Amino acid sequence: MPAAVRVRADGSPLFDLPPELSIDTDVARRVIGEFIRGQLRQAGFERAVLGLSGGVDSGLVAFLVAEAIGPERLHCVLLPYRTSSPASRSDAESVVAVLGCSSELVNVSPMVDGYFGPGGGTDAAGPGGAAVDALRRGNFTARMRMAVLYDRSVTWGGLVVGTGNKTESLIGYTTLFGDSACAFNPIGDLYKSQVRQLAAAIGVPEPVITKAPSADLWPGQTDEGDAGFSYPQLDRLLFWRIDKRRSVEEVVAMGFDPAFVARVDRMIAGAEFKRQVPPIAKLGPRTAGVDYLYPRRRPGSTRS
Amino acid sequence: MVETRRIALAQIAPRLGALDQNLGRHHELIDAARAAGADLVVFPELGLTGYQLQDLAAEVAMRLDDPRLATLAGRTRGLSAVVSFVEESADHRLFIAAALLEDGELRHIHRKLFLPTYGLFDERRFFAAGDVLRATPSRLGVGVGLAVCEDFWHLPVAELLALDGAQILINVSSSPGRDLAATNEVGLGTATSWRTIMRTFAQLTTSFVVFVNRVGVEESISFWGGSEVIGPTGELVFGAPLFDEGLFVGDIVLDDIRRERIALPLLRDERPELLGRELARVIAERAGLAPDSTAEPGSQDGLDVAPELPPGRPIGFASPPDPLRRRRRAAGPRSVKPA
Repeated sequence: MPAAVRVRADGSPLFDLPPELSIDTDVARRVIGEFIRGQLRQAGFERAVLGLSGGVDSGLVAFLVAEAIGPERLHCVLLPYRTSSPASRSDAESVVAVLGCSSELVNVSPMVDGYFGPGGGTDAAGPGGAAVDALRRGNFTARMRMAVLYDRSVTWGGLVVGTGNKTESLIGYTTLFGDSACAFNPIGDLYKSQVRQLAAAIGVPEPVITKAPSADLWPGQTDEGDAGFSYPQLDRLLFWRIDKRRSVEEVVAMGFDPAFVARVDRMIAGAEFKRQVPPIAKLGPRTAGVDYLYPRRRPGSTRS
Repeated sequence: MVETRRIALAQIAPRLGALDQNLGRHHELIDAARAAGADLVVFPELGLTGYQLQDLAAEVAMRLDDPRLATLAGRTRGLSAVVSFVEESADHRLFIAAALLEDGELRHIHRKLFLPTYGLFDERRFFAAGDVLRATPSRLGVGVGLAVCEDFWHLPVAELLALDGAQILINVSSSPGRDLAATNEVGLGTATSWRTIMRTFAQLTTSFVVFVNRVGVEESISFWGGSEVIGPTGELVFGAPLFDEGLFVGDIVLDDIRRERIALPLLRDERPELLGRELARVIAERAGLAPDSTAEPGSQDGLDVAPELPPGRPIGFASPPDPLRRRRRAAGPRSVKPA
């Protein structure tokens, strides 16, 4: 039975959910809850840490982790850069307030500016000087956040939980060894539209669900503005191309614009490397990931 | 007197690679099943070892004369148990095996026949496929047939076991839950597919189907449980919830088999000799030992239909030509071949 849809005061839906993407949110919460508990238990951990941006992805993961292991075992780290939107911070704080979990704020500006030099992209003091564009700075910032989270993983004694969704992973809208770095990811097989559906079902505050998704790398930036298409539209295309194995001809016949399909196909292929462990040159008789194949966690691998 | 049998479904979450720990759990649950008055307790596929073993498979493998198996069998006085583990043969092949233990002895072994090696599965890389499919007598008073997970995704398995005398078909599984869509009956595509198969096999073989699927998480995979017992009419007798670990007990009425097999004598009407004859033909044809008698001349392998319709005799029969087929062909479009 489809779950009830949360609506706005005027009765309109909170977000656009293409019908083929609709999931049973009760089953999803059950599976993800067991997954989170299983990952922690197999690794010998009882706690988790994650970076909370104020967006729906990390907000949902915080709710899922709190539901799975209790909010007292979750530590959320807010990691703003000096140009980050104040609204992001207040949205993140609203998630922490609802959950009642532990949290802290780590300003990553000194780390980023210490490398590039202060003064934004026009400062010539740092490496690259004036050529420091928003993309370089954004990637660097994402990797500084990763470094903080892995340090807090030690001090908090918890595993770093990933917060990337399937849509951004498929099109490569992630930073390698940055936001994609984690011990495990509970929502990496959910499209953005499904993240919103699950977020609404589990009780993530409404403004977090409905605001325009943004990497918050510069003021006013939005994912959909960067990419030039909407998430529901993109999610539908990815669902039919990837999950349902439909050919280009078939999705075009369904009404998708051929130029849009071609562009998304290129993005998927171009991001293949971000989704895989780097290859090791095969030299010896037994090589990790090639012909030395063990589960990540097995007897003896639990932290003691 | 109504003859009933009490069945316990051990829907457990084995620990990956932790053979001793899993053996301990089996000992406990066999005792618990006996205490609950069960005649049969069934554990899931690789319940003694966990599923995603990869290179661990050789490290947890047991020979059939392994003392740990003998000890486990020794625990089954007064009841039957189906357990599953990695079996190493004398020539060092590794099998995914299910064993029937009864009254202290290992009575029957089934080696998984079909090893899925596609999509999220990689079994053929690590395991050998079994070559034998046999029903077996049991202390339950009727024949039983063992199958492991993917074995049930192949049509002949249930039919052969029933024809061989099984009246209770037991499938032990480690089925990964996936296809999480709101349109499915229980929100999980895998569960819907399995339920369709179990009901169909139970009805078509007019036998009980006992399905035990594990729960728990390994790597990316969540196993969905949902173990069930289906009656010979294809209806649910009792079942376990999705994802919950536990020992779930219920009764079956053996007379249901007789009632259904008399009302719906499908098994009586099976034609194994027809099946055997046609299969022998198909095997020879696929091996290239005989021409494909049901294909048009010039057709591609496995398609049976030629790109162009040749004139000549109908397919598969020497004579006489079928007038209807001729007329249909004559009316259809036809390209002209240069001489």
